Amino acid sequence: MDNPDQAIEEARRAGIDLALLDSNLALSPEQRVLRHESARELMLALKEAGAAYEKSARPVAAVR
Amino acid sequence: MKSLHVLLQRFADAGLEFVVVGGFAGVLHGSAYVTEDLDICAVISPENIAKLRTALVDLNPVHRMTHNKLSFLEHPSPGEKLANVYLETEAGIVDILGSVLGIGGYRELARNAIEVPLFGHPCRVISLEDLIKAKEAMGREKDLLTAKELRAIAAKRQGK
Repeated sequence: MDNPDQAIEEARRAGIDLALLDSNLALSPEQRVLRHESARELMLALKEAGAAYEKSARPVAAVR
Repeated sequence: MKSLHVLLQRFADAGLEFVVVGGFAGVLHGSAYVTEDLDICAVISPENIAKLRTALVDLNPVHRMTHNKLSFLEHPSPGEKLANVYLETEAGIVDILGSVLGIGGYRELARNAIEVPLFGHPCRVISLEDLIKAKEAMGREKDLLTAKELRAIAAKRQGK
């Protein structure tokens, strides 16, 4: 495993939210799974909404 | 839609020996990335195929990579060998991998795997070090970014 300070710095430079990691690490694995499930459900709902919007918007774009 | 962890409970109830790998393993280690699917590594033997069928029987499991979405309850037929099984079920997508790039098969993964209590079952999860190796071996941009996040998690566990 590399130098911990270097790993943190590389993650920061890559735009990784380190505060969110702290928040996750404070949870139990079960709590992490439940938090992830909520985020996954939201992501899938947004995807579905996006697909429905695309479908409804297509005829309008075709008219233009 | 059922939750992905329901699949883990079912696999455990069916007596399947497996190690959680991929993005879901990352979540268990503390990753903030959201994954749509569940990846596990197991020996893909006729016995384990039978256990998987028992676990998934009422979830309409189909081979998601096949043209006609063949039913997993009927395929593979006896004697047919698969390296990996890519399924779509009513509880979500689950990939059963015979091996993980950069690490090896089930036995190599199980050697370093950690055990976490999950909804009343002990669940084996790829070690953080092996997950980093696997992500780096995959080499895609998204995997390399995940590897950086996992390295930060490892650093934080050392008190950083």
